[in-house]
Amino acid sequence: MRERSPRRPSLARPMAVLLLLLPLPALAFDLNDLQAQLGQTKAIEGQFEQQRYLADLDTSLDSRGHFTYRRGERVVWVLEAPVKDRLVFTPDSASVIDESANASNDRRRDQVAALFLRLLGGDWQALAERFEIAIDGDVDDWRVTLTPKSAALRERITGIELQGGRYLEFLTLHAANDDVLEVRLFDQHPLSDSNAD
Amino acid sequence: MPTESHERHSRALAWSWGLVLLLSALATTWLLRDGLPTDTRLTAMLPEDRQAPLIERADARLSTSFENRFVVLLTAPDLRGATRALAERLSSAGGASPLLSRLIWRDVDLAEADPREALGAYRYRLLTPALQQTIDAYGGASLVAPALRSLFSPAGQPQLVADPFGLLGRWLAARDASPVEAHDGLLTVTDDGQRYALLIGELADGPYSLPAQQALTTAIEDFQQAHPDAGLLRSGLIFHAAAGAEQAKREISTIGLGALIGLVIILLVVFRSPRVLAQMLLPLGCGLLLALPLTLALFGQLHVLTLAFGASLIGIAIDYALHLQCERAVAGSRFRLRPLLPGLALALVSSLLAYLAQALTPLPGLRQMATFAALGLLGAWLTVVLWLPRLVAPAHPATARIAERLWRISMPRRRLSPSVALLGAGLLAALAAWQLTANDSLRLLNPSSPAMLAEERQVQRLMGSDTGSRYLLVSAADEPALLSRLAEIGDTLDRWIAEGVELRYTNLADSVPPPAVQQANLARVERLYSEPLSELVARAGLPDSVIERARSRIEDVPILDVATWLGSAIGEADRRLWLGKIDAAQADMPGNMAAVMPLSGVESAALERRLTAFAERHANVVYVNRVERLSSLLGELREHIALWLGMALAGMAIVLAWRYRGLAWRVLVPPTGAVLIVLAIFGVIGVPLNVFSQLGMLLVLGIGLDAGIFSVEHARRPSTWLAISLSTLTSLLAFGLLAFSATPALHHLGLTCLLGLAAVWLLVPWVRPTHVGS
Repeated sequence: MRERSPRRPSLARPMAVLLLLLPLPALAFDLNDLQAQLGQTKAIEGQFEQQRYLADLDTSLDSRGHFTYRRGERVVWVLEAPVKDRLVFTPDSASVIDESANASNDRRRDQVAALFLRLLGGDWQALAERFEIAIDGDVDDWRVTLTPKSAALRERITGIELQGGRYLEFLTLHAANDDVLEVRLFDQHPLSDSNAD
Repeated sequence: MPTESHERHSRALAWSWGLVLLLSALATTWLLRDGLPTDTRLTAMLPEDRQAPLIERADARLSTSFENRFVVLLTAPDLRGATRALAERLSSAGGASPLLSRLIWRDVDLAEADPREALGAYRYRLLTPALQQTIDAYGGASLVAPALRSLFSPAGQPQLVADPFGLLGRWLAARDASPVEAHDGLLTVTDDGQRYALLIGELADGPYSLPAQQALTTAIEDFQQAHPDAGLLRSGLIFHAAAGAEQAKREISTIGLGALIGLVIILLVVFRSPRVLAQMLLPLGCGLLLALPLTLALFGQLHVLTLAFGASLIGIAIDYALHLQCERAVAGSRFRLRPLLPGLALALVSSLLAYLAQALTPLPGLRQMATFAALGLLGAWLTVVLWLPRLVAPAHPATARIAERLWRISMPRRRLSPSVALLGAGLLAALAAWQLTANDSLRLLNPSSPAMLAEERQVQRLMGSDTGSRYLLVSAADEPALLSRLAEIGDTLDRWIAEGVELRYTNLADSVPPPAVQQANLARVERLYSEPLSELVARAGLPDSVIERARSRIEDVPILDVATWLGSAIGEADRRLWLGKIDAAQADMPGNMAAVMPLSGVESAALERRLTAFAERHANVVYVNRVERLSSLLGELREHIALWLGMALAGMAIVLAWRYRGLAWRVLVPPTGAVLIVLAIFGVIGVPLNVFSQLGMLLVLGIGLDAGIFSVEHARRPSTWLAISLSTLTSLLAFGLLAFSATPALHHLGLTCLLGLAAVWLLVPWVRPTHVGS
């Protein structure tokens, strides 16, 4: 862009405004953009495939099913194979994980559930409290990397990666004990308010 | 005129008194080289419970864990933003010397140390009651489904080899009875749908540090100004200490300053000389100078209450200076000390007797205070007698005029006859005996406002925490026996709760099960690891090698002991429950090990009785209600003061009868009459008696006796009446104004002095002798 000339303001200013309004590929795609993009969809439903690698046993646990997600409210995670089950995560509790234990009192488990919800929702402000967050890529193919800030959290999680385009498509969580959780979300489509549950 | 040898003699005495004071000053500087060793603990004033040193230890253990922490619960429309703002203000409070050593407010703050690490090895011996029942009844088959769920949940954290059934997680979750939950990155508690954010501060300098109180108050006030829509609930000793300090500061600048200004004005109006004013205060200073090093040498340290009350009691010594000065001002050049000496000596002896009687009581606080006051009084008296006559004091003619006028307007024409006095005393005593009540509630010592106390209680309720004010103290021969005993008591209390009794308790044996229970738990886990484990592995589609590896973990499992538990991050909070080894020789209970079990929710007297009865049935269990216990100690203190005071008075009556014969009753009427009047008024208006009003009686008695003695010694002298009036008026200003204090202890002391001193002043003219006098 050319330097503004005091002698010819009438032309320079509208040009500058115009330039700012254009979506420039040269401008980085940042976390705010991504949050805005993800936030456009209030509710989603889709399929998932999950693979949990257990380093200790050098083996993997695979599962699949479908899910519905309502932004800021809850995720319903319906396992279809190898076992059938229905899990509900809300910001307050992961109450259905385990009815027999006093679930509402287990702060640790609530935190994992809350983390899962924030990852799905791209709630970077909240995540930034505990993680260094880096983003690269563009609007159609982005990748976000989260690294724990505190030593205490690093003892449990070494890093988290998110990838996607219009929606979040891959979530990879590296645990400190070398276990890896990989979740692939596919066949996703927005859900209207009426049939969202 | 004194002879020359007499004069030499008195000069030598004055010099030696100066030398004594110089030595005292040197000793004081030496003793105070590291600052004044003061003791601020309230309980240090109370008698050591020699029958129960173990209870003392348990009390101390339970209270210190509360002192250095505070809790703030916050409500706000934007809870997250407001909590963050408050946390930032609190963290930065104090500037270079931070207020807090730690602030807990985010959900991650509590998860910092992972208890799984420290307790992982013991997990197969630790089962929640629910798990025990499940395995006992069905072998644990129902535990397979939740274990599977945790394997496949994206939020699960399975440990297939170490803990496929998540035993430790369940056990730790059951340990954590606190209602605190993570929400939106914050720690919160919920009540009636209202969510509060929780902030827990750990103080760097303790609750009594004035800069810390200042920093905390400022931080919170600034926050409230910036967030007017936020609601705060506070709990913690530092808030009460700060409010108390603030109140004391306010009262010193109103009541204290008012009294001081009044005092100075009165003395200046009567004597018209700043130099006389200085001479009035000189004995007080000298008295303190004598009392401070000697009391410190005797007791090692001074309690703040000794300093406060003791210094006030020494204030009585201004009487001696007043009498001397009034006499000197009125008599002018004809003034001689000698005629005044018997009265002064008797006044001193009477006060010393009253105080030394207190010094013989078994109460350390009272003993210290009495010693301090008696020494100070002696020092002040010696200064008045040895120094004041040698100091030139201008005698303004106005003093004599004032004395004459006061005499004319305030002397009644009639007098009280002995029979009327006796009748009056009998009536007052009967009224007091019929109506008067006593209240030794600990609340008298607590200057916090009801609003603050209500806030404190609300926070405690929301946090589900106990205050440690009621507990069972349990002892046994060794650690396993103690844990078993605790577990049995826990079972008993559980039965009560099942019957519908309102009661909560914190039991160490819930966290560290007795070895026998740990053994049984391991057997249960072995059962769980047979069929159910095979089923879990098969349904998850995992190789059979997992089963072998998991089973190998339960082969050599250590037993969790108390030390390991208390050393872990999650067990740290239980340290207050453990007294450990007890000294069998001085212990009041059988056994070598002791622990406490705090109770909360004990509201009814019936439950109180049931707990007492339960403890009485078992030699190794004691039920302690700390508030009740401290209150009864205060009551004991009050009764002791009354008893010794009565004995001192009886002794005084004998001495007085010996000197004054038939006039002795005239000496005794002002002090005893004033005390009876105060007691009767308290009875009629329904003010209960307590230890602080009784300390006030001590003052009334001392000043009343002085007034009675001088009134009889120098019956018809306006100067004496002026001195008596000034003495009661100055004491009224110094102590009586405390009746307007908002601090309950000071209020009661002040009210007693206000009524009692006024009564002394009103009684003296009615009982002055018709003739006699030196």
